[in-house]
Amino acid sequence: MTSSQTAPAAVKILIAGGFGVGKTTMVGAVSEVAPLRTEEYLTKASIGVDDLAGVGQKDTTTVALDFGRITVSSGLVVYLFGTPGQERFWFMWNDLVNGALGGVVIADTRRLETSFASIDFYESRDIPFVVAINCFHGHNTRTPDEIRAALDLDPHVPLLIGDVRERPFGRDVLLALVDHLMSLPAATG
Amino acid sequence: MTPYWEDEAEEDGANTMVRPYTITRGRTAPERDDFSLITVLTTAQDPRDEHGAPVRPGRLQPEHRMILERCHRPAAVAEVASDLGLPVSVTKILLADLVAQGLLLARAPLSVARVAGGADMGLLAAVRDGLRRL
Repeated sequence: MTSSQTAPAAVKILIAGGFGVGKTTMVGAVSEVAPLRTEEYLTKASIGVDDLAGVGQKDTTTVALDFGRITVSSGLVVYLFGTPGQERFWFMWNDLVNGALGGVVIADTRRLETSFASIDFYESRDIPFVVAINCFHGHNTRTPDEIRAALDLDPHVPLLIGDVRERPFGRDVLLALVDHLMSLPAATG
Repeated sequence: MTPYWEDEAEEDGANTMVRPYTITRGRTAPERDDFSLITVLTTAQDPRDEHGAPVRPGRLQPEHRMILERCHRPAAVAEVASDLGLPVSVTKILLADLVAQGLLLARAPLSVARVAGGADMGLLAAVRDGLRRL
């Protein structure tokens, strides 16, 4: 009982990708709870999420994101946030991306172009990421090298191919991200 | 005592008010803006003021009480918002009220930003061990 009174430390991992590519599916596959949904107001005129003064005049929109959690230990919880499908929204949402441990880009080989924005976003924010190619029904006609070339991926960025509905694949994607993070040199210095 | 926010409430204009902000009495920003989506909240077990006397809660709304009930088990801001069915920014205002009164404890997320040197190896190893058990 006493241990439940102490707040665990929290970290977060982002799950990005084009609309309908399987972000929430992957969150649900590895999360210990069914994906939760939360909403936020964003204004197109403003970057800060808390700056909603004059909300009546500005163009305000509501975006939703789904998230899940993995309790690593009594003192550490990993939150997984599926980013809103339309990148133009989560570009504005600093709170979502600040302080992320790393990210996953889920891509579909039939429409790889929908993942360009997610890759650009992670790269521009210096958020390390891995790419997960989602193959529902084993539907993949491209080799990893072809996919890498099409996505213009740096050679060191891990690329995995599998079915995001399956927990073992989701786990392997997250493990690949953690291994990738451990392989990176410290950014300072 | 008149709550400070009542001064501003009428100027907001009922027609343009986004409904959830009525719960915050028209306030659109929290007292403190350092909450993140994964700041973890825990209800204080025996809140005391600086003189060691038990804290007597100020005016609490039903949503405040729901938060205190919810956070007997630690929960992240995103989870509280989801449970309450309120937008994150509205939830943060209510959370800030409770933290300011000492009724709720907030724990900031671990710093893992690459510009600050990234996550430390011990943390990453702990995450990896936890993921392997999935």
